[in-house]
Amino acid sequence: MSARISFLKNPDPCNHLSDYKLRYGTDGYKSFNNLFRCFNDARIKIKLQGIDIPRCSYCSVYQKRLYICLICRSISCSSHILLHTQLNKGHDIAIDVERSELYCCACIDQVYDSEFDEVVVSKQLFGLGMSVKSGADVVAVRSNKKRRLDSQLIIGSNFLVSPRDRREKWTFPLGLRGLNNLGSTCFMNAVLQALVHAPPLRNFWLSGQHNRDLCPRRTMGLLCLPCDLDVIFSAMFSGDRTPYSPAHLLYSWWQHSTNLATYEQQDSHEFFISLLDRIHENEGKSKCLYQDNEECQCITHKAFSGLLRSDVTCTTCGSTSTTYDPFIDISLTLDSMNGFSPADCRKNRYSGGPSVNAIMPTLSGCLDFFTRSEKLGPDQKLNCQSCGEKRESSKQMSIRRLPLLLCLHVKRFEHSLTRKTSRKIDSYLQYPFRLNMSPYLSSSIIGKRFGNRIFAFDGEGEYDSSSSSSPSAEFEIFAVVTHKGMLESGHYVTYLRLKGLWYRCDDAWINEVEEEVVRGCECYMLFYAQETVIQKAHKELSYQVISMADAFPFADC
Amino acid sequence: MKHSVNRPPTPDEDDVADGFEKDKVTLREIINVKLVESGEKENLMELVRDRLVECGWKDEMRIACREHVKKKGRKDVTVDELIRVITPKGRASVPDSVKAELLNRIQNFIVSAAL
Repeated sequence: MSARISFLKNPDPCNHLSDYKLRYGTDGYKSFNNLFRCFNDARIKIKLQGIDIPRCSYCSVYQKRLYICLICRSISCSSHILLHTQLNKGHDIAIDVERSELYCCACIDQVYDSEFDEVVVSKQLFGLGMSVKSGADVVAVRSNKKRRLDSQLIIGSNFLVSPRDRREKWTFPLGLRGLNNLGSTCFMNAVLQALVHAPPLRNFWLSGQHNRDLCPRRTMGLLCLPCDLDVIFSAMFSGDRTPYSPAHLLYSWWQHSTNLATYEQQDSHEFFISLLDRIHENEGKSKCLYQDNEECQCITHKAFSGLLRSDVTCTTCGSTSTTYDPFIDISLTLDSMNGFSPADCRKNRYSGGPSVNAIMPTLSGCLDFFTRSEKLGPDQKLNCQSCGEKRESSKQMSIRRLPLLLCLHVKRFEHSLTRKTSRKIDSYLQYPFRLNMSPYLSSSIIGKRFGNRIFAFDGEGEYDSSSSSSPSAEFEIFAVVTHKGMLESGHYVTYLRLKGLWYRCDDAWINEVEEEVVRGCECYMLFYAQETVIQKAHKELSYQVISMADAFPFADC
Repeated sequence: MKHSVNRPPTPDEDDVADGFEKDKVTLREIINVKLVESGEKENLMELVRDRLVECGWKDEMRIACREHVKKKGRKDVTVDELIRVITPKGRASVPDSVKAELLNRIQNFIVSAAL
């Protein structure tokens, strides 16, 4: 690699270029300074005053590659540039009009000169609203108009790394740091970005509640994922903005889940589940004093775990058996048909919303579909306890207890066992930034089954009697993991919402984006947090100061 | 002059343009002037550039260039030669959908400019 870079840095100048520079120095380049015109995609063209469409001075053609002579500024097309050199001795070096690159007419080849590039790029930086020298002093002005700076960054000498880009990142909230892709690991980076900015997790690790220096597992020489996350949290909030490589976490995760230890692309939802499971295992063992409690006290379960209620009703006798299952995320079915789920249509008609909504799948439609009463097919007959026979039955899910952080997973990857095929559903799903979960709580669902009555059903009433108005059912979004591309190959990008602004985390690159961009994305995992959690996080304007009370906000849940 | 003679003519434009007198302003040129003046040409260029990246055409060309450079040896290749070798391949492999979209955009532009 280093050999290649040095090759790029010092290509031998041809004799003609050396001659030119010996005679004119860089003055010739500088005289072109006011002719360079920048475009927002970082290209630079040459624009002569009073000429809209440059033409070859010999054949007045305008479609071909055109070159402007560095000495006499006449324009020639690729067919006549040689003629120009032969007619005018010493007019060897020219600039490509469309690309602002040096061309030696005598060698018939592109030539490179760092001093020329310097003139062009300083013009480019200037065109983007900054001067090279005063770059560090200029007050950061956040422009919503994002420009592509890639081409400059690729060139990559110290001088060329755009000061604007760097400065903008400094004004980003602390903790925003790019993560390098370690070879198809965007699935991991996407999830890590969301987890690192989940307020309870952030507070847990930053307040040193799992300190890698004190961890008993680590001192015993065992692998410990929470320790690796501690390293990541330290790195992310260190204030350093250069992209970070979470290599040790990847390695550690591989050690824990050997079947997933490949450089292949993985599903970020699977990674999320597997990571939380491993943390739970590591954490749970070190905190065995909570074992008599029925609920796990590990950080992942305190943050993500909720309780699902599932009621199976016998369609013959009407008796219901209820089971409760903990969950750390809810997987929602996304299909064209559940966009039209009856509940959804009814809701739209009721609210008189625009008819477009009826066609577009919405998150509330998916949640309605998730909590609908579902008739189990004749092949899934269950043993009814009161009838004592196998009967057809219906099943309904509802949420008994909401978690602090709600992770909703949209099933975009569909695997059909019968057809043995997989496909990706890439239809758009509309989702709100504020989500009220009270319609999906057990109290509401069970209540609906009995009609509009005010009394406690099946013990749901006293558990969360005030749930319909309780603020704990109000959720706010804080991260969205999106998937672009196809089933086999695609790319995960995370959008984070910090202090009301949205940031796009695409591996190593982080930039601020408009709300519309986030609304229009192909969401795959949605991370919501209880409103109170977000508000609390919002108040901690500077992330550095976290009191112990804030660090442990779930003492009351 | 030798080198310039060796170059294949850039397809179609020349053939069409040569049919007319050099001074005469052709319809093609009028459209081009309008496109440039309105700034639509920049938009179209950007559109085509994006489409060609999306459909993998750019990667394909990059690979073709790399192969050619490898074959000839790094020191013995000039940009002009690359252009000469790759251009026919490149023009031939632009997907029809991209061409159709561009044509459609130009047609729309002409219609709106004529109104």
